[in-house]
Amino acid sequence: MEKTTRALSRHGGGRLMKELPFHLMLLPAVILVFIYMYIPLGGLIIAFQKFVPAKGLFGNQKWVGWDNFIYLYHLPGAISALQNTIIIAFWKIILHLIIPITVSILLNEVRSTGFRRTAQTLIYLPHFLSWIIMGGILIDILSPSGGIVNRLLGVFGVEPIFFLGSNDHFRFTLIFTDVWKEFGFNTIVYLAAITNIDPNQYEAATIDGANRFQRMLYVTLPNMRMIIVLMMVLSLGNVLNAGFDQVFNLYSKQVYATGDILDTFIYRIGLIDAQFGVATAMGMFKSVVSTVFISVSYYCAYRFADYRIF
Amino acid sequence: MKKLSVFLALALALTMLASCCLAEEKPDPFGKYDEPVTVHFVRSTDDTLDANFFSQHPDKTMTDNLWCDLYRDTLNVIVDYDWIVKGGDEYDQKLNIALGVGDIPEFVNVNTLQLKQLAEADLIMPLEDIYDAYASDFTKKIMLDTGTSPFDAATINGHLYGLPNVDSTLMIADLLWVRTDWLEKLGLPIPTTMEEVLATAEAFAKADFDGNGVDDTVGMAIAKDLWGQLFSLRGFFNGFQSYPGIWVEDENGKLVYGSTLPGTKDALKTLHEMYEKGLIDPEFGVKDGGKVAEATTAGKCGLFYGAQWNSIYPLQSCVNLDKDAQWRAVSIVPATDQPLKAQTDVGTLHWTVVRKDVEHPEAVVKMFNVFIDKNWGPNNENGIYYAPLDSESIWKLSPVVPTNPNKNNDAFMVLEQYRKDGDESKVTGEAYSILQKLKAFESGSEDGFALWGWERIYGADGAYGVLIDYQNKGMLQDNLFVGAPTETMTSRMSTLEDLQDEVFTKIILGESDIDAFDKFVDDFNALGGKDITEEVNEWYASVK
Repeated sequence: MEKTTRALSRHGGGRLMKELPFHLMLLPAVILVFIYMYIPLGGLIIAFQKFVPAKGLFGNQKWVGWDNFIYLYHLPGAISALQNTIIIAFWKIILHLIIPITVSILLNEVRSTGFRRTAQTLIYLPHFLSWIIMGGILIDILSPSGGIVNRLLGVFGVEPIFFLGSNDHFRFTLIFTDVWKEFGFNTIVYLAAITNIDPNQYEAATIDGANRFQRMLYVTLPNMRMIIVLMMVLSLGNVLNAGFDQVFNLYSKQVYATGDILDTFIYRIGLIDAQFGVATAMGMFKSVVSTVFISVSYYCAYRFADYRIF
Repeated sequence: MKKLSVFLALALALTMLASCCLAEEKPDPFGKYDEPVTVHFVRSTDDTLDANFFSQHPDKTMTDNLWCDLYRDTLNVIVDYDWIVKGGDEYDQKLNIALGVGDIPEFVNVNTLQLKQLAEADLIMPLEDIYDAYASDFTKKIMLDTGTSPFDAATINGHLYGLPNVDSTLMIADLLWVRTDWLEKLGLPIPTTMEEVLATAEAFAKADFDGNGVDDTVGMAIAKDLWGQLFSLRGFFNGFQSYPGIWVEDENGKLVYGSTLPGTKDALKTLHEMYEKGLIDPEFGVKDGGKVAEATTAGKCGLFYGAQWNSIYPLQSCVNLDKDAQWRAVSIVPATDQPLKAQTDVGTLHWTVVRKDVEHPEAVVKMFNVFIDKNWGPNNENGIYYAPLDSESIWKLSPVVPTNPNKNNDAFMVLEQYRKDGDESKVTGEAYSILQKLKAFESGSEDGFALWGWERIYGADGAYGVLIDYQNKGMLQDNLFVGAPTETMTSRMSTLEDLQDEVFTKIILGESDIDAFDKFVDDFNALGGKDITEEVNEWYASVK
């Protein structure tokens, strides 16, 4: 016993003392996560209750078992909301990787600093507009009757397209506008990574006779591998967050079939219809699916790119 | 009726108890407090108030206006709002969240679903004794003018939990608003059948009245909230013996939900055909009433279903822009040879409930007294507080708005009589205020033209005449379920209504074919509709 204690203080204890300041620095964040992430998990109990809010979380609520989940299963729209979420989020994740990476590499090759700066500023500007404002603007410019986009298409003899009201175009419009709004901002991360690449590598490549395109392919891209994998793993955690703000400001009843996502669905059931039990059940389902996705993506990142957080 | 008698007996017993044991002085319905009493409400505001009052009185606010002054001066009651939001939907959302966390205002106007949740949660107080003690005799009379249903809907386990902001049931009925100057230009008659309505819509959609060479006129205007009081679809569906959103008797005398009736399918089919022909705005699913109103004002539409007040908002703005424009409200039209009925509902949309710990709950009853007395009492000042010549909707500034349900009928009848015999001495109260408006309009003056909307309601061929015609000819289909919301209704009904609106919108736009309606009926029943129907029929059997 005595031996063990001594051993601990010699090896573990000494290390602990050395690392203590770091642990203390971490503490506020841990406390916040505990209060705002872990404690509310207790609220999941609502998913199994016929919840009457005024009785309180600890009140005498009626226990209904899996009824809320069964109700959800029968509710038209719940399944399609899940499908829409995955499809929309999937495309957003893919395009949010490819486009900013491409743009950042291309921007990096631009010689004129003035042009590069201007382009960078212009493309990340839309990021700072909230979706409520963007929503209003988009509804106007995409309107089939007199919207600027359709008038432009009209010049080429294209029939007006109801981008926000047709189930054939709504998802595309969501994905396209989201990528357009955010790609500039995401580009910054990759540009920063590129700046950190050792210029000697480029120099060496040039001496070896690599042309511009080859330098991009064999120097820039491989050096960005870690940041790309990191961004991918982080974004996979969002696979069931298809963007509430955006969808909520752009959708309408006629495009629920292709545009309604889990978050907007939960919002309507919970906050508008006041079916708190059902909404929580849906939220819980979403969390479970998200956990599976994150675990799988983390495993894949480790397996194929040797990337680990822990 | 049984419920009411129990309630009255209880109220009587309690009053007697109060009077013998406490031996206090008799409560004064209009008694002024010695110390100022602040009452905290929450409220919504809307386009009509902004367009008709605040734009003309920029110095006034929700807490600084003539109604707040009146409550302060007569009762020493200070009106304050914890929050104000724009729009009824937003109000319900914000309120639902507030109720969800149990953070309710002292006094709040709620619908029956919210009232039931609050009462079950034991957050609000029973009001029957307070109402009985403090309501003036005139208030009590007005509040019962549409029968006991506004009280039944708020009575749970024999206790009255909310004071009904009573309103007319008749006013809910839809009318068909049509631009008669366009009819004349095209040589068309006023439509009296569904076929004629469709023909008119088609003629309007094809014609280019503003001569801009662009095909931008819609045949019939509808908005995304299908059942509003403006750009509504109820009157259209009624033509097919379909009564969306209300409970009606089937051939066996059982109550059924009106949206699931077979006529609904025919109505939807017809609407889809109209959409195919380009008579309906393909963007209606994303446009709210305000947006459609803009288009109507700009002369892009000449036909829609709506309520009697639509001439004041938004049509007044239409004629302000185009002095040649003329509108008229006419009866809804039949699509079949079955008897035509226009649906109504309990006109009471909100009940004022009082949080349990409020010190002066009777203050709100006194406010009801003042509101009713100032507007329709024997010494009313209707021309100042309700319908002044120079601003509209001014009564909405009061946090409680119990409205004399028959006031508009009465006023119209008085005016009709006046038009016959010219005897102005019998025209008093609100009818007098309205007569001044009609006269101002007839004078042809610039100011008078701003009252065109009133003439369209109360004039000789006004909207109210059509409503009274409905009443006299027995053309009204009341909502037969007027009780407090049933158990399943409380939890499931709004989701079912959502589903209904989604399916109907999709059918009209051709995103789903017409058979989606049958699936909707199945889904409706499977997702709680069947239970609700049973509960509603249980209630119906108990009141018969």
